[in-house]
Amino acid sequence: MLQKMYDWVDERLNITPMWRDLADHEVPEHVNPAHHFSAFVYCFGGLTFFITVIQILSGMFLTMYYVPDIINAYESVKYLQNEVAFGVIVRGMHHWGASLVIVMMFLHTLRVFFTGAYKKPRELNWVVGMLIFFVMLGLGFTGYLLPWDNTAYFATKVGLEIANSVPVIGPYAKALLTGGDIVGAQTLSRFFAIHVFFLPGALLGLLGAHFVMIRAQGISGPL
Amino acid sequence: MSEKREISRRTFLNYALMGTGGFLAAGMITPMIRFAVDPLLKHSAGGDKVAVGSIDEFGAEPKRVEFKVHTKDGWYESESVLAAWVTKNDKGEVTALSPVCKHLGCTVDWNKGEHENEYFCPCHMGRYKIDGAHVLGTPPTKSLDLYETEVKDGKLYLGKIKPNPLPGVTG
Amino acid sequence: MAKHDKDATFVGDSRISAKRIPNIAPSYSEFPGKSEPFWPNFLLKEWMVAAVCLVGYLLLTVSHPSPLTDKANPNDTSFVPLPDWYFLFLYQMLKYPWASGDWVVFGTIIFPGVAFTALVLAPWLDAGKDRRPKKRPVATGIMLLSLIGIFYLTWAANDEHSRLHPSNGGHSAGGATAPAAPAEKADSSFKPDAVWTAQTSCQGCHGVNMEGVAGPNLQKVGSKLDANQIADIIKNGKGGMPPGMFQGSDDDLKKLAEYMASLK
Repeated sequence: MLQKMYDWVDERLNITPMWRDLADHEVPEHVNPAHHFSAFVYCFGGLTFFITVIQILSGMFLTMYYVPDIINAYESVKYLQNEVAFGVIVRGMHHWGASLVIVMMFLHTLRVFFTGAYKKPRELNWVVGMLIFFVMLGLGFTGYLLPWDNTAYFATKVGLEIANSVPVIGPYAKALLTGGDIVGAQTLSRFFAIHVFFLPGALLGLLGAHFVMIRAQGISGPL
Repeated sequence: MSEKREISRRTFLNYALMGTGGFLAAGMITPMIRFAVDPLLKHSAGGDKVAVGSIDEFGAEPKRVEFKVHTKDGWYESESVLAAWVTKNDKGEVTALSPVCKHLGCTVDWNKGEHENEYFCPCHMGRYKIDGAHVLGTPPTKSLDLYETEVKDGKLYLGKIKPNPLPGVTG
Repeated sequence: MAKHDKDATFVGDSRISAKRIPNIAPSYSEFPGKSEPFWPNFLLKEWMVAAVCLVGYLLLTVSHPSPLTDKANPNDTSFVPLPDWYFLFLYQMLKYPWASGDWVVFGTIIFPGVAFTALVLAPWLDAGKDRRPKKRPVATGIMLLSLIGIFYLTWAANDEHSRLHPSNGGHSAGGATAPAAPAEKADSSFKPDAVWTAQTSCQGCHGVNMEGVAGPNLQKVGSKLDANQIADIIKNGKGGMPPGMFQGSDDDLKKLAEYMASLK
């Protein structure tokens, strides 16, 4: 049955070459922790992606309860965490995952750096990776405000003050993020929009580019 | 000859394509950008000054006034109560100080107990001189904030809070 | 499209080649040495690592509920903010004299800007052929120094914060097990007893009517603490509250504590 469905699609779209390319590409010995335990450092990229997937999924589900509004945001977070079944787990996944993804990405970056894997011909992929890093930090910064508790509020205020101290563009950047004079209703809805639509959109595009480049160039050779 | 025409036609079509693409992009993005940067360009609404009393009421001795301000945060509007310590010197210049301590935001008081001719913050013993200058060696590292002041028709109006540039003094 | 050879046949009128490639995995003999195919051999190993991580991760979410402090209160000026941990090193840098005040441009733009630009441009700055860390000591050295700097600054920020503000480190209050109740609504009709109104120092932070200003609202403090605990806090302070603010005799203190304990 499954085979027939596959054949049906394959006849029309010729998906076998794509599938075989993905499935059969060769994974060299030096990245395989089964042969050299030290090769576990090559896992961090995959784990970053794994946690990113968890972040995207748990974030999607969190918006089923979350309301980005200064009156209700805190109450909705409290409700989804304390009253909804498994709310502790789902919010916990998103909250701790945000830290974990930074840790994994940091380790992945260090692995790439210390193995010199960013050298010709992989320069572009390193740059894309750095952009992913900045997008992730942006996601962390904007997501931190959303529960609208004191920690979130004052940390964001400090962050915006730091942005404000940048010469020339600082005040504009701050006003653009704040959406007014004070950190308030407009800031929260802006941060929500950035956190949920703008940055994830950018992230997906960059991740796609990252993976296409890895597949095209192959993994860097042994040291 | 014909080959040359072929190229220029292709070039023309390329330009036309870029132009149309540019128009499409601009047409889509312009309203959105203007929409997003609106708060940057909007005239700040908090600029209205509030009358706090007749100018004759104030003298060299600080006097505390309370007043209500209207704050607008997007679609939320609220009233909040602010306070100020107001002094007027011989030349008629008015100073209005915010009572919020620059250390951790407690409320300062004038002439409290043994702290004569000083603003004193009870939380961590912060002290300020009459002009709001912070006393060195006490916790605050900045002088008390100032309100913008305006005298109109014999009445004192207070506006936005701005930082006080006075350096710390010993005492 | 123009490159299609003339003999190619297509499925119907589409551009999908009619020639089928058999969907057969190559035999393992086609993978030299100890290399292996991505699917299923290597992916299985990756997923096993991921499974271990997921279990640890789920245990973490269950054992440590995500923190949620009190609802944001812009007037709560006693709250000392702390950014998320991965921004701490930037935040800490701004506290040093060479990166704050007149030099704040260094802290906000120049140092981070140079560091991040260098990181993005690493492939061009470190353009030599050799990839081994020992063969490119400059790149390795700078990276190690930056790492030490980042770890030190993060540690310093956290250490300083927990030393100065042990009460609101932001790590304590778990949502489900939160000891911190949401801030009580100030009751504007509440009128405190004379033993309170005599204490002007207390009013500076807790408000004339105990409604809470920089310090917390105390109008219902008796529902959480008994007289002894209250007296202890008044005497010794708590969190941002300094000790010894009370003015009066021990008897007065006892009276005040008993009065406050009766507020429920």
